[in-house]
Amino acid sequence: MKQGGLFLISLIVVTSLFDTISQLMLKSSINSVGFSTRGIKKIISSIIRLVVIPRVWAGFLFCIVSLAVWLFVLSKAELNFAFSVDSMHYIFIAFASRIILKERVGILRWLGTVLIVIGITLVALSS
Amino acid sequence: MRSFFLTLAAYFMIEYFTNQAKMSKNKLTPKILLLLISTDILETVAQFCFKKSALSGSGIEIKSFSTLALFFKLNFFSLFLWSAFVAVFILFIIWSSVLSKIDLSIAVPIASFSYILVPLVSIVFLKEKVTWLRWGGIFFIILGVISVSFSSREKRDAHS
Repeated sequence: MKQGGLFLISLIVVTSLFDTISQLMLKSSINSVGFSTRGIKKIISSIIRLVVIPRVWAGFLFCIVSLAVWLFVLSKAELNFAFSVDSMHYIFIAFASRIILKERVGILRWLGTVLIVIGITLVALSS
Repeated sequence: MRSFFLTLAAYFMIEYFTNQAKMSKNKLTPKILLLLISTDILETVAQFCFKKSALSGSGIEIKSFSTLALFFKLNFFSLFLWSAFVAVFILFIIWSSVLSKIDLSIAVPIASFSYILVPLVSIVFLKEKVTWLRWGGIFFIILGVISVSFSSREKRDAHS
């Protein structure tokens, strides 16, 4: 592995993690509002109820920090390397949905997660 | 950033169409396929622009807070960064409309084609090198993403 490769991977972990946090905040806010899409009026009122939730804005903040870290990573790493390793957010989301949102995660999703882990390991070893 | 909007789009459309349960979905028409391929291309364009934007500040040796601030300032005024935002925004709109017509388990595998497209663009336009081991890794990642997207079908069957 190239010098600093581990440092870059840990930064990609940070950006993926922040991305996941941002999505969890968004998803849990939408869940709490009970987003209704029956008719334009209900859509608009759902959006308004969503915008006043602080968690949505916190989520947006995490998303901006994640983007800033991503730009920093790209200034150091090859694009194809960073983009492949960034797929680890699928793994974080699988775990987070299971633990925090208490969603049921099926066998196929765990299998996919393992395959992504293998893939990322190969990509990391190739640098 | 991109996944923030994609989640929003996905959630919105899934909600919308569980309300209209009798809609016939899952038909991959040429028009939808074309839209999905355009999301692959937009994703690649966005990542390429992010990379180009990041390169505009890569000459700076980041050692202190002020050099870090300079790095982000250079990025903020880069036309590439804003082009990337535009690409992500169009991606959001297309992704929303595609998900209203087709299942995630069909849309995501086609969209994961960008895991091949991005390395190709990196080789051609950024003069990066992709080894066989890395292609192998990418192959596993794509298989993984497809499995994850198919699990949305598994979950729905359990409900019905």
